[in-house]
Amino acid sequence: MKRFAVAVTAILVLALSALPALANKFEDIKKKGVLVAGVKDSQPPFGYVDEASKQIVGFEIDLMAAIAEKMGVKLEIKPVTSSTRIPMLSQGEIDVVAATMTHSRERDKTIDYSITYFSTDQKLLVKKDGGIKSIKDLAGKKIGSAKGSTSEKNAKAAQPQATIISFETYPEAFLALKQGKVEAVTTDEAILHGLRNKDDKPDDFAVVGEAISAEPYGLGIVENESKLRDAINFALMDLWTEGKYQQIYNKWFGKDTKYYIPLTWTMELWP
Amino acid sequence: MHWDVVWNNMSYLLLGAYPKGPLGGLALSIVMALVGIFGAFWLGLLVGVFRLSKKAWLRVPALIYIEIIRGTPLLMVIFWFYFLAPVVLGKSLPGEQAAMIALIVFTSAYIAEIVRAGVLSLPKGQMEAARGSGLSHTQAMIYVILPQALFNMIPSFVNQFVSLTKDTSLGFIIGVTELTKAATQINNRTMNAPSEIFIAIAAMYFLICYVLTAFSRRLEGKINRYQARGR
Repeated sequence: MKRFAVAVTAILVLALSALPALANKFEDIKKKGVLVAGVKDSQPPFGYVDEASKQIVGFEIDLMAAIAEKMGVKLEIKPVTSSTRIPMLSQGEIDVVAATMTHSRERDKTIDYSITYFSTDQKLLVKKDGGIKSIKDLAGKKIGSAKGSTSEKNAKAAQPQATIISFETYPEAFLALKQGKVEAVTTDEAILHGLRNKDDKPDDFAVVGEAISAEPYGLGIVENESKLRDAINFALMDLWTEGKYQQIYNKWFGKDTKYYIPLTWTMELWP
Repeated sequence: MHWDVVWNNMSYLLLGAYPKGPLGGLALSIVMALVGIFGAFWLGLLVGVFRLSKKAWLRVPALIYIEIIRGTPLLMVIFWFYFLAPVVLGKSLPGEQAAMIALIVFTSAYIAEIVRAGVLSLPKGQMEAARGSGLSHTQAMIYVILPQALFNMIPSFVNQFVSLTKDTSLGFIIGVTELTKAATQINNRTMNAPSEIFIAIAAMYFLICYVLTAFSRRLEGKINRYQARGR
């Protein structure tokens, strides 16, 4: 049995090591003329299926299209999920991941990241007349979040005296807030605004509190592809200085949208 | 209640982005289930007959196959085919195909065991009489044993096929836009009607499974008539 296991491992290692023999991803993309981006298809407004056109649209799709244009290639999008995005990237099925992925040290061990292209804070969604202004007011109270999320852990750390109740999805957590089962819902600000603005009476709720934690999103790139990472980073910076980034941002997060979040951070710019 | 959300997105739930994009939603679930049922039946029948064979080179591989697959969660099998395909084939399989292959491979292990049980449940005299009348073992299996055994297996088959139909929802995990995934996409966009959306898709799953069981009951009734005449 042991010998069998060794044999299987050896075959897998051989097969896997044969894959990354590609010379230079950036040159390959240029030659193909196509940049393949893995995007979310159920995370409005970053990437979701539009009701009328039934196509995947969103902030990250527009941003990737602009980056591809800067690189002089066409953009092709492939839907990914949180569990498939990193394996698909490592196997070369996609060239870059633009899927609301927080840049964490843990993930940086297996893939590379671009500079931060979107930054959001974890905050609280509460009932307007509930008297809760920040996480301090939640001692001994119940907070709703989603299972397995970083928000769940961060909230526990920020307010150890609160009980965190984890739901399957955020809409369920919000429903619990409406029914008075929890006093607040916590996660990324962008999602909280989405929940609030989709409700029948958005004015009954408010997004409050100081940032519980920062969530910097980075574009995922295959490990050790320096040229590709440079091209993507430079494209991001150019988009920012030209004002094209802000234009895309305002289309999805501007004042007139349902996901209004003021642009309060600046992109890292290299001279 | 926001039933309008369900109505407004009904075409996406039923067909996905089709015809402007790939087929999805309920239609894709049904296609996956039909391909899965067809493939799993034939592969399962083959493996089941191999499992009963007296020849060790047929019986042992079949036994290993059944034991490995039955001891693994379907979710794992789906992941395997999705992530192993690029390593083995050199190119990646689309999620739909990976999920369908996984469903066929997974379900056929169970079908094989049903086939074995069905064949073993027949009186020994059936095989002996068939062999005695001059048929070879293979001929006896095809013309005498399997026709009788398969009829007895119909209820177990239907059980397995209904289960397979519902298992298509696991394609969700590798990003296949079948019914469950389509519903999640709509739910995450609209956010205000989770119960309505999931009640609607539960009804759809129930409907296709009910059609399947109703069809099998009719089939059983039909075959029963012919069988009764012979007895």
